Amino acid sequence: MALAQQVQLQGGNGGPRDRAGRLAGSPALRLVGRRLLAALVVLWGVTFLTFAVMSALPNDTAQVLLGLHATPGQVTALNKALGLNRPFPVRYWHWLVGVLHGNLGTDLEGASVNSQLAQHLPATAELLAYALAGSLLLAVIVAVLAARQPNGLADRLSLAVSMLGLSAAPYAFAIFLIVVFAVKLGWFPVQSNSLGSGSVLSFLQQGTLPAASLGFPLFAIYTRLLRADLVEQLQREDYIVTAKAKGLAPWQVLIRHALRNSMFSLITVVGLNMGTLIGAAAIIEALFSVPGIGSELLTAIGDKDVPLIEGIVLVFALVTVLANLAADLMYAVLDPRIRYGRSTS
Amino acid sequence: MDVLDDPIAAARTGAALLEVEDLRVGFAAGGRDVRAVNGVSFRVSPGRTLAIIGESGSGKTVSCRAVMGLLPAGTVVTGSARLRGAELIGLSDSQLRKHRGADMAMVFQDPARSLNPTMRVGAQVAEAVRAHRAVSRSQAREEAVELLRLVRIPLPDRRYHEYPHQLSGGMRQRVMIAMALACRPRLLIADEATTALDVTTQAQIMELLLDLQAELNMALIMISHDLGLAASYADDVVVMYAGKIVEQAPARRLFGTRGAVRMRYTRALLDAIPRLDRPAHTILPVVGGRPPDPAALPPGCPFAPRCPVTADDCLTTEPELAEHVEGHRWACWHPCQNGDTP
Amino acid sequence: MAAPRPEAALPGPGLLAPGPPLLPSAGVSPRRLASQRLGRALRLWVPAGIVVLILATCFLLPLVTRMPSPTNGNILDAGDPPFSPGHWLGTDPVGVDVFSQLVYGGQVAFEVGLAVTAIGVVVGGLLGITAGYFGGWVDALLSRVVDILIAFPALVLALAIAEGLGPSEVHVIWALSVFSIPAFGRLSRGATLVVRDLEFMVAARLAGTRGWRVIARHVLPNILPGLVTFSLLGIGIVIILEGALDYLGYGIPPPTASWGAMIANGQTVLTAQPEYVLIPSVVLVVVVAALNMLGDALRERWGVR
Repeated sequence: MALAQQVQLQGGNGGPRDRAGRLAGSPALRLVGRRLLAALVVLWGVTFLTFAVMSALPNDTAQVLLGLHATPGQVTALNKALGLNRPFPVRYWHWLVGVLHGNLGTDLEGASVNSQLAQHLPATAELLAYALAGSLLLAVIVAVLAARQPNGLADRLSLAVSMLGLSAAPYAFAIFLIVVFAVKLGWFPVQSNSLGSGSVLSFLQQGTLPAASLGFPLFAIYTRLLRADLVEQLQREDYIVTAKAKGLAPWQVLIRHALRNSMFSLITVVGLNMGTLIGAAAIIEALFSVPGIGSELLTAIGDKDVPLIEGIVLVFALVTVLANLAADLMYAVLDPRIRYGRSTS
Repeated sequence: MDVLDDPIAAARTGAALLEVEDLRVGFAAGGRDVRAVNGVSFRVSPGRTLAIIGESGSGKTVSCRAVMGLLPAGTVVTGSARLRGAELIGLSDSQLRKHRGADMAMVFQDPARSLNPTMRVGAQVAEAVRAHRAVSRSQAREEAVELLRLVRIPLPDRRYHEYPHQLSGGMRQRVMIAMALACRPRLLIADEATTALDVTTQAQIMELLLDLQAELNMALIMISHDLGLAASYADDVVVMYAGKIVEQAPARRLFGTRGAVRMRYTRALLDAIPRLDRPAHTILPVVGGRPPDPAALPPGCPFAPRCPVTADDCLTTEPELAEHVEGHRWACWHPCQNGDTP
Repeated sequence: MAAPRPEAALPGPGLLAPGPPLLPSAGVSPRRLASQRLGRALRLWVPAGIVVLILATCFLLPLVTRMPSPTNGNILDAGDPPFSPGHWLGTDPVGVDVFSQLVYGGQVAFEVGLAVTAIGVVVGGLLGITAGYFGGWVDALLSRVVDILIAFPALVLALAIAEGLGPSEVHVIWALSVFSIPAFGRLSRGATLVVRDLEFMVAARLAGTRGWRVIARHVLPNILPGLVTFSLLGIGIVIILEGALDYLGYGIPPPTASWGAMIANGQTVLTAQPEYVLIPSVVLVVVVAALNMLGDALRERWGVR
């Protein structure tokens, strides 16, 4: 609601009747512009922070490359050659320039970071998409069923399951899923190494367990939020009484009116959660051998492959910032109070 | 043809569209028994306007919502409310839904909050049309535009696509009325429908309601705390206090002849209206105190603590609503005399 | 011209009767009300009791009884089942006592959880209140800082620090604080904004009460319930995250006991002896669930949204 209030405080006026003109003067566009600017600042901040942290930590990249028997002289020489002994601002500047040109450098194995990312991104994307879509869909269904009869059977069940989802660690839950569904029942494979390439069928087969591990806590959060919001709308909002007065059935009131309005808070939460989601995805990917950028990151950290780490973290940050931005924008687009402002009537 | 379709015949035969008898509403809040409505009876006929007047908490809104079946679950409603002879109290929600929006409709107080902010107004009206009739989407759309035209919204096909926040208060209320009229109800309840509007718009909306009433031969109940409104527009008036009716009479009798008001409470309400013919800086005779707590109603007359002429019997025994003069009922042990000056 | 007395119909109420009892007992019977109250009390005290019990077990029990070492085990005792003499829950595949590991692992979990949350509340809370209360460029600046911290993957930071500086409990606390500070920052900023525009606040400002006094007297008490309930949730989240780090090997260095490490170690014998993964997992779920439920119950009681 903060967005709506912000806009109204600024007295968003509809502008000229013509639709394009209205859009240009619309509060929505101004808001979008401001948000974009903020997003850019954040993006820069994250990359800077990453770089700073990486530089601050004791870095023996050269040592690692040369092996244990290298002499200090050789190490120093390699450091110089790799440019690792230049002052921090210089290195950052070079890296930043590279990033702006789309070049993320080469990792320790000589492969281009860009290509590494491109190779591993699809798997993670598929996993995240599956987890998000699944948990959202299930959450909406369960929340609607629960809100229909507060404190009824569906409601209590949904609350219990959500509590479990919130409290279970994704990695523990993943292990449980593997034991039960992959090992004992054999319905799904234990490893999901062809996620990101492969057919729809293999996507479903290999993606379900990891997506479920990731999605369970998400489902819990979304369900709780949506249910609470729906119940609140049904009990407190005047337009619900109007809808009932028209003679609409309870399901119609719930879905056509209450759910419509509750989707707003849900969308914001989805965007906000992206950061933690990516972190959790890394662990799940490692567990299920999914060839995504999360597991790449873990290996890179183990290898102290700084360029690769920076590249992946950049992608993480980009996704998080974009997700937040997207959530904000969707809010602006979907809430007619922001999209249209007040018309002169 | 149903006698109720002819207002003159209805008046002659005394057939009422809505007959409420001994309506009582109670619910539990925080462990206490709240008695919101304590035995209310009235009737409305087609073409007639009944005004229900009272302070906040007097039970006026709760009574009408009880008739419509819009009270939250867990509320206990007893008594009888017959719409064209069909008993409404005691029906299940799915049975009551057939009447809600179809035979009887309601317009609410704050159109800013009573309309769904994320749905276009036209769609909301069309939804009302399709709620009770099997009509195609495009037909419902056409009817919705016609309804918007009926409530005198200019350029209705343009307005159809707008959202509630894009309309002014008066327009929003017209949209609410359009929604209520979608299925040509026989009974329209206007719950403080003009309270949130400025005076000019108020007059426009009231005129609209009365015109529509005449056109569609509806019975109209207007709930308000504004005596002036009742005086200007109502045929019959019912005054409620603490969940009971304390005075009931045709409007002309109550407001016309000076001093026809009997019940002390109504008298006090009338006197509290500022008047131009009083000398400047006269202190306004306001009724002190507050209405009683509906969970802890005192014995005796509920108005006794605030009444200027409380006597012993007022505190012990509750006065019964009785028709002392023809067409005029009141519940008071020591009512104002005819021609009483305050 | 007195009005006629009501003889018939209504039963004359007594002098002190509360009103004619013609309405059947409305809505909720006293029995149902009592059971509702009982439910509410249970929802609060049962989780609270569980949390206290676990805290006591983890921190007080070792002071009272002698516990087998959580790090060194006798290989000859490996694989003892629960209720073996000297080993309440048996021993793991390398002979280390399971119950001991749970207890000492719990110490670590709570230490990290409480520390990180405390840092988050204090630092994040301060940032958030300042941003929310003063608004303007202060808000813009602080909000950007918070946004940057949130977008920064805390896990990566934790891993990087562990890799670079060596794993330790303190490093874990630093790393996870990067996540908790902005979380509380956003929360307290939002709550401050809500409180700031309430009427009594405007009145206080108009009356001339300035800055810090207003914050301490008015803002803090109003946002405190929200902070407390969120903290409980936060401790649970941090415990899970800390467990993840331990599981990956980047948290508390072995051989120090930790729940995450127990799960990782147990994974090696998963199919044959799933209990070594199951036990710490169940304990994790119970602890976090108890914290969450306690947070929910408090939120219910204090009316926090």
